[in-house]
Amino acid sequence: MATSKGSFSVEDMKNVQINIGAVVKEADEWDQPMGPFPKPNVATLRNWDFKLCDRYKIMYSPADDTCTLCTYGPCDLTGNQKGACGIDMAATCGKIVLLAVLIGTCAHTAHGRHLYHWCLDRLGDMPFDMGDEILVDAPLTRTILGIKPKSLKDFGEALAYCEEEIAQLLASCHTGQEGFYKDFESKALHSGMIDSLGKEICDMLQTVAYDMPRGAADAPLVEIGLGTLDQNKAVLIAYGHNLAAGAEAMIYTEENNLWNNVDIGGVCCTAIDLTRITETGRASKIPANLGPKVKVAGAMGWWRKMIRADIMDAVMVDEQCIYCDVLEDCEKRHVPVIASNDKIMLGLPDRTNDPADAIVEDLVSFKAPGAAILDPVKAGEVAIRVAIAVKPKRAQFKKDITFNEQQFKETLEKCTACNQCAFVCPPHIKISNMIAEALKGNLEPFSSTYEVCVGCQRCEVVCPQEIPVLKLYEYANREYIQNQKFTMRAGRGPVTDTEIRKVGAPLVLGQIPGVIALVGCSNYPNGTKECYDIAKEFVDRGYIVVATGCMAMDMSLYRDEDGKTIWEQYGGAFDGRNMVNIGSCVANAHIHGAAIKVATIFAHRNERANYDDIADYILSKVGACGVAWGAFSQKAASIATGFNRLGIPAVVQPSSVIYRRTFMGRTDKPEDWMVIDAKNGQMQQIEPAPEALLYIAETKEEAMLEMAKLCFRPSDNTQGRGIKLTHYCDISMKYFGKLPDDWHIFVRDVKDLPLMYKDQMMKELEAKHGWEIDWKAKKFISGPLRPADVSFDPTNIARKIRTKK
Amino acid sequence: MVDTTKNAIPFEMAQIPGPEMAKTYMPKVIGAIIKKAKRPLLVVGAELFDDPIMFDKMIEMGKMGIPIAATAHSVKGFVDRGYLDNVYQIGLHPLTSNLRFGDWMGLDGKGQYDVVIFLGIFYKFANGMFSTLKSFNRNIKRVSIDRYYHVNANMTFGNMAFTPDDYHAAVDEVIAAMKK
Repeated sequence: MATSKGSFSVEDMKNVQINIGAVVKEADEWDQPMGPFPKPNVATLRNWDFKLCDRYKIMYSPADDTCTLCTYGPCDLTGNQKGACGIDMAATCGKIVLLAVLIGTCAHTAHGRHLYHWCLDRLGDMPFDMGDEILVDAPLTRTILGIKPKSLKDFGEALAYCEEEIAQLLASCHTGQEGFYKDFESKALHSGMIDSLGKEICDMLQTVAYDMPRGAADAPLVEIGLGTLDQNKAVLIAYGHNLAAGAEAMIYTEENNLWNNVDIGGVCCTAIDLTRITETGRASKIPANLGPKVKVAGAMGWWRKMIRADIMDAVMVDEQCIYCDVLEDCEKRHVPVIASNDKIMLGLPDRTNDPADAIVEDLVSFKAPGAAILDPVKAGEVAIRVAIAVKPKRAQFKKDITFNEQQFKETLEKCTACNQCAFVCPPHIKISNMIAEALKGNLEPFSSTYEVCVGCQRCEVVCPQEIPVLKLYEYANREYIQNQKFTMRAGRGPVTDTEIRKVGAPLVLGQIPGVIALVGCSNYPNGTKECYDIAKEFVDRGYIVVATGCMAMDMSLYRDEDGKTIWEQYGGAFDGRNMVNIGSCVANAHIHGAAIKVATIFAHRNERANYDDIADYILSKVGACGVAWGAFSQKAASIATGFNRLGIPAVVQPSSVIYRRTFMGRTDKPEDWMVIDAKNGQMQQIEPAPEALLYIAETKEEAMLEMAKLCFRPSDNTQGRGIKLTHYCDISMKYFGKLPDDWHIFVRDVKDLPLMYKDQMMKELEAKHGWEIDWKAKKFISGPLRPADVSFDPTNIARKIRTKK
Repeated sequence: MVDTTKNAIPFEMAQIPGPEMAKTYMPKVIGAIIKKAKRPLLVVGAELFDDPIMFDKMIEMGKMGIPIAATAHSVKGFVDRGYLDNVYQIGLHPLTSNLRFGDWMGLDGKGQYDVVIFLGIFYKFANGMFSTLKSFNRNIKRVSIDRYYHVNANMTFGNMAFTPDDYHAAVDEVIAAMKK
């Protein structure tokens, strides 16, 4: 019989089969009791989700008015009317949102599953060791599952949990299942949480298996830019998100002393992860210090510009964010393609079991445009050998790849200014005007819009004259391409416990005005420069600025007046006035992790299986705001939704309206902004902080103003609130020419007022808003929503009310 | 007189929402609708910076008593021109979020609006916000006097993105109709 967890006695038993699953002995190794919600299922955290949705009203912007998901359709849902199955517009939008978030969640989780099998097969199980400075390791795994992984193999349990939840959530999207919009959003939030866990699994697996930096503020500076790839060598581009095959190409190059013959450049998140390999110097089965030997060719948005610039000899794709016409683009330019992951095979023959020699021969002789090779070791070897061998053979085609001056002019002359291209250009570039200027010899418009162009190619698709607009761009910017040489700090990985100890108090009290997280993709409304502008604005103001993925790459492409990139201007610690490259998209999980660690390390909250408690703490006390200024994919939807469930608001760019759903608070409804004071259980009205969970900004100026505002938290002390209000008002004065209309809502005490505007504001409070002021004592007699109270302990969860022991 | 009913094609051509699509109208009709409105709201965005003369035209409308919601950082254009009498600084997103609720009391606290008039806003974003109102508050009439055909509006001009002189003349005709 079982007597207690982990022990049982067997007496007088015959013919009994005992199956032992996982032996639970965590109690011996982890002093935290199991929290209330280990492995939450689809409905477990629904109350928390509904609390969020009650304050932050779900707002839909339908991208179309019909539903065509079943054979009753198309149903016209305009005006929130019902379709044949009974679903209305709101629930249909909710279903599409859930599907998008699930797609993103699947991408990250499946990436993790692939890495799990690959790392264990290739390198064997390894202790899960994040180093001496990170004892709260895998914070999402701990918070969601209530387990502490001890080895890479232990992440299998976390993956199995993710996969079960994904299956349950996807089932709810079937016609005749879920039908209420708010429940769809609860499920989307659940999926977003699973997404964050999937990302953590990915990055923890690769960090340990490939010995990547574990919170290294001084991670090395690596080369980034199209011009960094040495055209005297063969160039292999590794494109995607999964480092497995790219890492094998690096290992093959290292073991065969081929670095003098080949340059490896990464595109999209694979680029960042390749630069992180074996940087710590620990014992590893992989050659030491490989990361800095590769280069970051650029973010995903640069791909089509890159291939047209003829800077590569071979391409190896893995998974996620890869243009579907990558093979067509490469084949036209005699660039062989290797597909290394079964998620993207591009119609290529599966040659995993063919001898490497035979595949190399076929690709180098252009008998085949590419090959699928699902063994990363073989894919890596073939990719390097092909790049080196094909380079001299490609020389004969170079004249067909890029324009010369005459071809450029002849192509310009084909334009009839019909403007069909302008009707489909996402950033509304007036291409015909640009061509007209170029015909006059003025290439400036082609230069100034090169970074604004997102490379979508829709202009070329609709052009009746079949003008290759991107090729025109390439010719006009050929010098810039050659000189695009910058540096980026390699992804440093998780935030350390010691860093959290240092910033915990100033962050919660507001003296560090906030954490600004720039995450995601390359579909910027007005070019890559805006990433840099946003990061620079906040890091100069003393915020902790963290970046991941394509935004980290794109903000690297600019220098200050001293010629320094943003990574050279600032330190890489998780601290105010620092610029932190966390890593690739999956390293976003460490931003969640840092917020969780503020709750656990600074505030001593138990994180174990205690998700809603931790999220409640973050929503009320940790001034953080994400911005996905180029969000384009379903992964961006799942990332933002995962941030939101954990209580972190996000700002997105205007095209993000296509995601259909946002979360917006009603600042005119005081009853929506009531919280419990945990110290005595009484309800307390708070200012609307943060006022939204997912906010769409029209311009970068609006985004920056909103981000400063979304860092306000009810827990700010007067000094902290004063600092935050100062930045909020400063940004408004700088870009809007006036103070914001709602600054007074956030004032609780005279000490909250920014020194610079104090006198002006006090007069305005009295004259415009009717506050009573004791001018002699410089105190408010009446007016604020609530007094500033250092002992105020805001919570949205009744079980957090303190009870006397 | 400018014919604003031509070119009724979504500015981003694939923005075809469904059976209910906007109708194009002449400026004098739109002007009359705005004039007749009990609680109109002019909503202007940051694209006005690309065509600054539009700020002056909006101020002219503002002086006729139409309150202006200046979205993004467009309020800077009004600050620079010294006109803030009935100009409110608010993002298009929170504004639209409020517009969908019948009990919202408006930017001046006097009640919900009955007609919103958009212009100068990034096309895709304005289209999405019109879509929100189209499905979730049909009590508000959605009017565009932007240079794009706005498919999710009730009333709009056709595309005039490449004929700026005609567009300016059309907006002037709207203003003239409001003065009648």
